Amino acid sequence: MTDPFDVLGIEPRFRLDLESVGARHRDLSRALHPDRYVGRPANERRLALSRAIEVNQAFGIVRDPVRRAQALLARHGVSVPEGSEPPAEPTFLMRMLELREELAALVATKDVSALERFIERAEADEAGAVEALAAGFAELERRAEPPPEITGELVRRLGELRYYRRLLGEARAARDEIE
Amino acid sequence: MAYSEKVIEHYENPKNVGTLDQNDPSVGTGLVGAPACGDVMRLQIKVNEAGVIEDARFKTFGCGSAIASSSLATEWIKGKTVDEAFAIKNSQIAEELSLPPVKIHCSVLAEDAIKSAIEDYRRKRAAREAAAREQGNS
Repeated sequence: MTDPFDVLGIEPRFRLDLESVGARHRDLSRALHPDRYVGRPANERRLALSRAIEVNQAFGIVRDPVRRAQALLARHGVSVPEGSEPPAEPTFLMRMLELREELAALVATKDVSALERFIERAEADEAGAVEALAAGFAELERRAEPPPEITGELVRRLGELRYYRRLLGEARAARDEIE
Repeated sequence: MAYSEKVIEHYENPKNVGTLDQNDPSVGTGLVGAPACGDVMRLQIKVNEAGVIEDARFKTFGCGSAIASSSLATEWIKGKTVDEAFAIKNSQIAEELSLPPVKIHCSVLAEDAIKSAIEDYRRKRAAREAAAREQGNS
């Protein structure tokens, strides 16, 4: 997989101005659009098409905090294949279990407004997890040769973000089903 | 994705869902999670004087395979000694439930949960025995 930051020609950072990255994506997509390759040799058309696909995939990765974090870690030689993540902190897991139980209870009572409040809180937690990740990457980017503790800590924070994502996904699905 | 019949059976009719008293000295609690999918699994065992697991309960928030894996795990460990339960491998769970490769991590989670519950129980027992020795010495 080609590095998405290289594909888009942008700085490999966690904190990104997504608007300017979006503009960059639009410009590249326009330049690679098949309409511009009408009448050109087949190999050029094929190349432009595969480049366009690559640009789209890169944008998809870069605008998603979880996938962006993975791509940045990969640049530092850290790959986190599914199932190899370090275990979460027991206190974090405990909190996650409590939140899941709370959600299950809210779903059982079909209390939409309480569910909405739960989702708002979970969204704030998710934003906090993204912020923790951003702060960690800022620390990483300051160093020429980051020690493994820093990347290890980032992998842990990435894991926590995934838990919140999953929680939110289920909470929203439950709300949509009740409504 | 298609679930196997056994997964669906455990998912629709999970065995041993619930909680045991965490503060009971004969109860061990394992809490594990899978960061990749955000699943959380709690598995508890109640061990008698002979070292046999006489009761097991679980609570799992996750996909059907994760629920089925923990349900099966509690069924299997009941009646086993702590050492026998500790030897259960995720591959046995995956095989029994015919889990596809993408769901193997659910069986890994169940194995981790069993081990984590047993370790918690052993820790508690060791602490209790140490306290008893202390008492005996004074």
